[in-house]
Amino acid sequence: MDDKTVIADIKSIGDFWAFLKSELKPRGNIATPFNIISLPIMLLGYVFIVYRLAVGLGRPVTNLNQEYPWGLWIGFDVVTGVAFAGGAYVLCFIVYILRTEKYHAIIRATVLNGFLAYLFYAGAIVLDIGRWWNIYNPMIGNDFGVNAVMFLVAWHFFLYMLAELVEFSPAIAEWVGLRRLRKILGAMTLGAVIFGITLSTLHQSGLGALMMMAKSKIHPLWYTEFIPILYFVSSIFAGLSMVIFEGSISHKVFGHQLDEAHHKHYDDILVGLARICAVTMFGYLFLKVLLIVHEHAVQYINTTMGFWWLFEVIGFVLIPCLMFISGAQQKNTATIKFAAILTMLGIILNRLNYTFIVYNWYVPLSEKYWPAPMELVITASIILSEIWVFRWMVNRMPVLKEPPAWAVEKEH
Amino acid sequence: MEELFTYYDIFATKGVEYLIIIVFLVIVLVFWKFVNMRPY
Repeated sequence: MDDKTVIADIKSIGDFWAFLKSELKPRGNIATPFNIISLPIMLLGYVFIVYRLAVGLGRPVTNLNQEYPWGLWIGFDVVTGVAFAGGAYVLCFIVYILRTEKYHAIIRATVLNGFLAYLFYAGAIVLDIGRWWNIYNPMIGNDFGVNAVMFLVAWHFFLYMLAELVEFSPAIAEWVGLRRLRKILGAMTLGAVIFGITLSTLHQSGLGALMMMAKSKIHPLWYTEFIPILYFVSSIFAGLSMVIFEGSISHKVFGHQLDEAHHKHYDDILVGLARICAVTMFGYLFLKVLLIVHEHAVQYINTTMGFWWLFEVIGFVLIPCLMFISGAQQKNTATIKFAAILTMLGIILNRLNYTFIVYNWYVPLSEKYWPAPMELVITASIILSEIWVFRWMVNRMPVLKEPPAWAVEKEH
Repeated sequence: MEELFTYYDIFATKGVEYLIIIVFLVIVLVFWKFVNMRPY
């Protein structure tokens, strides 16, 4: 595989198309186990997506009904996906605002991952909207629902995607070889970062505010008027755990693109991220305890749902928090990576709890919502498509590898 | 004669939440030092 960014010499639109055509061609061996497994799932998913858009949300596409209007697509693709994409705004804050240069080496991969997560996972919201052909309405002012949380979320997703595209665009300009544009886009980065962080704090909590519509349906151990705060705080360690997880895989898969100094430095980055995760999780843990006291929900701890709450909080917050501390103190990256995976599982569990597990908690198990096979295939297809696009971009653009010499400039 | 001592139920006044926050602020200092301990 070619490790170097192809230096494009584009002087006209024709040159650009020729360059793009050459870059779209696959590089290296196509028949890898990952490709062989993922391609049929993706193709099947695309067929199901077309079918869903044509026939609607009901059976057999999804098991959603009037009792369960939110299922796997909202709970996992949108709400969990956006929490995992939170690593981009946290890391941008650390690198561009706090000026902690240590993490600069992973910023482009993180921003790209965040951008693609919004594009694919938040984009999956199209599938969840009954009349999906009206999705542009909040943008054009057709019945502005300015009091609706969904209005805020729609605009924020749209604006944040643009902000992340601007943050990542210097890498695209370097790939295409547009020097003047690279300079302009580089100058816009800090503004886009500040704008992006502001938007993130609001829509991460906004997704939590969506859940507040269902006060009577969510179990008292999970329901609180502070759900937005919990969503925001948890997005910090969810996003950073994703950075650890994704970074570790990228490090193995794209290791040949990285220089020796980066390899050496990477363990220090993981230790630093583990510390930040541990401190945030510690605060989150206290918030969880404080809020069940505040909501007078302590009495429910000794019930089946109480044990489920303890399973989530102890198993997927307290234990990974302690593992992050232990991993950071012993500089044990295996422990840190395992803690990151546990944390991510905990976030998936937490978000799915809100959308359909402890939602309608009084309904008997036989009447509960379970994702339909088509929902699962479409979700897998969206995740795999994102991985394919991420891999294509990392293999061609200066994401992990060094940017071209002309683009290296002092950013201070 | 007016009582010299007035008893407040801290659970009724939600005072326990303030206690939890105070405990958190105390523990977070220790926790911060613990997390930032040099690797052994």
